[in-house]
Amino acid sequence: MIWIETIVNGILFGGLYGLLGVGLALIVGVMRVVNISHGEFIVLAAFVGVSLAGAVPTLHPLVLLVPIVIAFFALGYGLQAVLLNRIVERTDPFAAILLTFGLAVVMRNLMLEGYGADPRTLTAGTLAYASVRVFGLAIGVLPLVMLGLSTALFLALQVVLTRTRFGRIMRATADNRDVVRLMGVNPARVYNVVMGLALALASVAGVLLAIRSNFTAYSGVERLLLSFEVVVLGGLGSFWGAMLGGILLGVVQLVGLKFDPNAGPLYAHLLFFVGVLLRPNGLSGARS
Amino acid sequence: MTSLLEVEGLDAFYGDFQALSGLALDVRAGETVALVGANGAGKTTFLKCLVGLIQQKRGRILFAGDEIAGRAAERISRLGLSMVPEGRLLFPSLTVQENLMMGALNRRPGAWTLETVYELFPILRERRRQSPSSLSGGQQHMVAIGRALMSNPKLLLCDEISLGLAPMVIEQIYQSFGRIRASGASIVLVEQDVKRASGAADRVYCLLKGRVTLSGNARQLGLDELSRAYFGT
Repeated sequence: MIWIETIVNGILFGGLYGLLGVGLALIVGVMRVVNISHGEFIVLAAFVGVSLAGAVPTLHPLVLLVPIVIAFFALGYGLQAVLLNRIVERTDPFAAILLTFGLAVVMRNLMLEGYGADPRTLTAGTLAYASVRVFGLAIGVLPLVMLGLSTALFLALQVVLTRTRFGRIMRATADNRDVVRLMGVNPARVYNVVMGLALALASVAGVLLAIRSNFTAYSGVERLLLSFEVVVLGGLGSFWGAMLGGILLGVVQLVGLKFDPNAGPLYAHLLFFVGVLLRPNGLSGARS
Repeated sequence: MTSLLEVEGLDAFYGDFQALSGLALDVRAGETVALVGANGAGKTTFLKCLVGLIQQKRGRILFAGDEIAGRAAERISRLGLSMVPEGRLLFPSLTVQENLMMGALNRRPGAWTLETVYELFPILRERRRQSPSSLSGGQQHMVAIGRALMSNPKLLLCDEISLGLAPMVIEQIYQSFGRIRASGASIVLVEQDVKRASGAADRVYCLLKGRVTLSGNARQLGLDELSRAYFGT
């Protein structure tokens, strides 16, 4: 029973990992660039959550997600419009890597300056300890809420991509950014919205992860590594693949911790390594 | 007839390489103009200059009275200039119908709707939910033409639409031009097949190494004369 409980908890945890990577998958899928500062934005959202929770202690961190998501959408939109659109159409992939790497370094140091190096966390109150019994298994309410929220966001993204006019434009822009211009679409504006969506999703993951575990100004690297693993394991640019990749990493990490409590995320990293060897195009089979 | 498109002294560059030199051409409202020439003559470059995909250029391009030489591609397309690119360049992530609907993003008032495009190419109605990559080459061309028509263009630019197609399919596509012209659109046909293009056009321009070497009424120019201009002999 303990193993089933561990696997269920891994699935619940993995949904959150999927959310970590889906923003990155969206950026890779539509713009074909890698945002090295993705992890720093996840951590920044967590710090903003801590600040807001301090300023308005009566509000639950999950409620604080609403203003944070709106702010991060605007931040992503602005960042893309002002900075990243300058390099996104360059054929040299290093331009985007170097620019976002520089951005990550600046953000990390600014967060260190502003919040210090001490570990922080967001408290979820009684919700953090609440659990329900399903078929004899004790399942935490908070992880269940997190998986529900992650799944709802994935479904919303699916609806936007497949059922809306903007989703059609987004997919077409990912296919060929020159040809959409012949249809009156300015790819730069599409990229602004995509980056806004990516950072909004990253901010949700950042706040939820801050409720589950400690973080510092240096946690961005670890978050980025996890996001990468989720995206690559799932299949570059495939967002349902990201969900699947996240769940697999979550399950393997928790099962690994049962075997070896000091292992940390070692087994999740090993799964990534084996996954890349066996299925270089990812679980969804999406091409890079 | 008034000119819909007037191009004067158009030079275009890829880095240091000059692909077009002082090109002049005009298209009148309602007519079909064929632009013929061998590989590398500058035909596709010319079309890309018109739609704004090549910015390294100088000269004058007047479309429906507007100077468009310095404008971005997305702004030019809103004026009623539509292109069927070489190789179709459909969106593989979208279904056939979604590809067609992409063409309607800048829709002007006019005859072309999903329904009329399906009437023009009935096979596309059957295939509307499929990915374009599952279609034959000819059907993919039909999607590309339909997508370009969905905006109700004043001028339709077709780049090498017969390339790699079976003669029967080419015939079917060329037959559709009659209906496209009847909707009021002018057409520029870029082709390597001199005989077929000049047969469908009112006027012909022949390009060689980025320059117009011959132009005139398609009925009056002989095939021999066109062939000499084509090969530069």
